[in-house]
Amino acid sequence: MSDSRTDPRLALEFCGLHLNTPLVLLSGCVGFGEEYTRVAGFSNRDAGAICLKGTTGQARLGNAPHRVYETPDGMLNAIGLQNPGVDHVVDHTLPQLDFEETRFFANVSGSTIEEYIEVTRRFDDSPIDAIEINISCPNVKEGGVAFGNDPDMSARVVEACRKVTSKPLITKLSPNQTDIAENARRCIEAGTDAFAVINTLMGMAVDVENRRAVIGNNQGGLSGPAIKPIALLKVQQVYQVAAPHNVPIIGQGGVMNATDALEFLIAGASTVGVGTGLFYDPLCLPKILHGISDYMDRHGYTHVRDLTGTLQLNGAVSACAPPAPQDPAT
Amino acid sequence: MTVPETASRPHRGTIFQENGRILDHHDAGADQWILRVHAPECARAAQPGQFAHLQCAPRLLMRRPLSIQRVDREAGWVEFLYKVVGDGTLALSQQAQGDTLSVLGPIGQPFRLHPERPKRLLLGGGVGIPPMIFLAHHLHLRGEAGQTHAVLGSEVPFPFHPRPSEILWPGLPHGAIATLPLLEDWGVACRLTSKAGIPGAHDGFVTDLARAWLKTLAPAERDQVELFACGPHPMLAACAELAAEFDLPCQVSLEEFMACAVGGCAGCTVPVRTPEGVAMKRVCVDGPVFAAADVFPEPERA
Ligand SMILES: Cc1cc2nc3c(=O)[nH]c(=O)nc-3n(C[C@H](O)[C@H](O)[C@H](O)COP(=O)(O)OP(=O)(O)OC[C@H]3O[C@@H](n4cnc5c(N)ncnc54)[C@H](O)[C@@H]3O)c2cc1C
Ligand SMILES: Cc1cc2nc3c(=O)[nH]c(=O)nc-3n(C[C@H](O)[C@H](O)[C@H](O)COP(=O)(O)O)c2cc1C
Ligand code: FES
Repeated sequence: MSDSRTDPRLALEFCGLHLNTPLVLLSGCVGFGEEYTRVAGFSNRDAGAICLKGTTGQARLGNAPHRVYETPDGMLNAIGLQNPGVDHVVDHTLPQLDFEETRFFANVSGSTIEEYIEVTRRFDDSPIDAIEINISCPNVKEGGVAFGNDPDMSARVVEACRKVTSKPLITKLSPNQTDIAENARRCIEAGTDAFAVINTLMGMAVDVENRRAVIGNNQGGLSGPAIKPIALLKVQQVYQVAAPHNVPIIGQGGVMNATDALEFLIAGASTVGVGTGLFYDPLCLPKILHGISDYMDRHGYTHVRDLTGTLQLNGAVSACAPPAPQDPAT
Repeated sequence: MTVPETASRPHRGTIFQENGRILDHHDAGADQWILRVHAPECARAAQPGQFAHLQCAPRLLMRRPLSIQRVDREAGWVEFLYKVVGDGTLALSQQAQGDTLSVLGPIGQPFRLHPERPKRLLLGGGVGIPPMIFLAHHLHLRGEAGQTHAVLGSEVPFPFHPRPSEILWPGLPHGAIATLPLLEDWGVACRLTSKAGIPGAHDGFVTDLARAWLKTLAPAERDQVELFACGPHPMLAACAELAAEFDLPCQVSLEEFMACAVGGCAGCTVPVRTPEGVAMKRVCVDGPVFAAADVFPEPERA
């Protein structure tokens, strides 16, 4: 297959939208959709969809430097939702985008439920293809993950946004919570059409020479290969809850290559997000698509959707068995 | 809604990812390395002030930004000068001639040359020297070396084996006699400064020599001067002050930690004065070159 972009087995329906490929470029990693096209050979057409940077009601300057830092097999970021505000995005950014090349998803953030509603409503009246609500941003003081860690609050945000848009609504879940499956269940009841799993994990880096936190915001979100095993487990857990309702998942966290993407599909994702992986290899998309096509050839799959949730769990009997009775002699 | 792919999108396809062979890689003393990589697209497009984002080792997720020090468009190579300061630069220094390196570049806004200010004063400190070498070479190729002056500072021995300069530069303190052979050969007047007692280098800061020279100029001559600076933050702050003192324009090249280096992550932003107030601008694609007056003294974020 010379051009994976045109491999018809990789095109799919997602919440009623036609996507060229199962790859989604992740919010915060690709600016407002045009940035990576600076790189010769990069094409937005290789992405099924592009999630724009987290957008709030008013413009935000974001956090003080440093905002990014490498950690073992990953990185921390604390951008602090720097964005020009929803009006600017709708009035000036969206008209610059080429919706023939790919789909564009908004990524909505807020400090209050009212702000989520306001931003969602503004995007509803725009050419944007879908709206992702980010109730899992670890880098702002109020809102974000404070909503996402509490199933009640998550459901309230989803329900409120649901009322003001008929566009596909994607809820981005945080790994920084105890029961992601319960949260997912509540969000489905509240009307979400899809999930993004997972956002970054909270972390920190220490500059020992100066005994300071490296990141300006002290803590940041951990992304990249370091979080992939956690992300896979969360995708698998959410899939158990979401599959019966036909609610698809954008699996994400540390995807660098085709094998990583396949792991997410098999664990239950319908589409796979790429964020930090682009920082390492801006031209990774065609390679990942090629690898998926290759795998499908080898395993006789006729469509990428048939891979979703094909994970076979082992019967982990011994781990679950009750402890053996104590030998009274010991 | 649809706009043709390139017509209104001049930014597209301006940065190249090339897996280039390392043509030369040697230790220039004091943990400084000179690296030459085959990357013809980058070499063809690069302008002074731009940088490249390098994969230092497969195990390191994040690339490292390095200024482009020189290019040879015919031979298709780009050259860097870097100092080993941590994991990434250490891993890079372990790459050998013949190895393959992923180069993403050229990136960023280059230095802008203004014809009404043909007297150019280049100020480079430490690993801020490479972009000044590129700029000096560029001016040499344009036939403008005779009007170009450079002051380079280092607290460790200079790369490129300094030697006494034969290009006369009146008005400087005694003792400022050494130059870098490269710049000398290109016809650029250059002097070195150091606080580390390097023979032939002026005992002081780059701004000391710069100030001494500016003071010798008549007002009409001084009005033709523009400053270009790259180096540690305190040096850039001092250069900005010097420029303000003589009411001269000054362009500075900034550094900040980077993830994508193509404008996607907003990880590298710094506060910048704009007509609309203080904005957070990306060092990678809005910079690394900024007008000194827009970034020094550091603007207060509202
Ligand atoms: C536009 C630009 C041009 C540069 N040009 C040169 C050059 O020509 N020669 C040279 O020696 N150095 C240059 N630097 C600095 C160089 O990028 C850093 O020294 C290098 O990234 C340090 O990486 P490390 O892993 O060895 O050090 P560590 O301190 O271990 O780095 C840890 C992390 O912090 C980041 N970091 C640390 N210091 C800097 C810094 N000063 N700037 C940006 N990121 C940093 C690293 O990229 C890495 O992600 C430039 C920086 C920028 C932004
Ligand atoms: C620099 C950076 C900025 C991010 N900004 C946002 C954001 O604004 N909104 C959001 O929902 N997620 C944001 N994320 C999280 C990513 O969208 C993604 O969920 C996460 O990084 C995991 O995927 P990855 O390992 O492929 O990067 C950001 C991630 C990074 C690295
Ligand atoms: S490093 Fe990502 S925007 Fe500059």
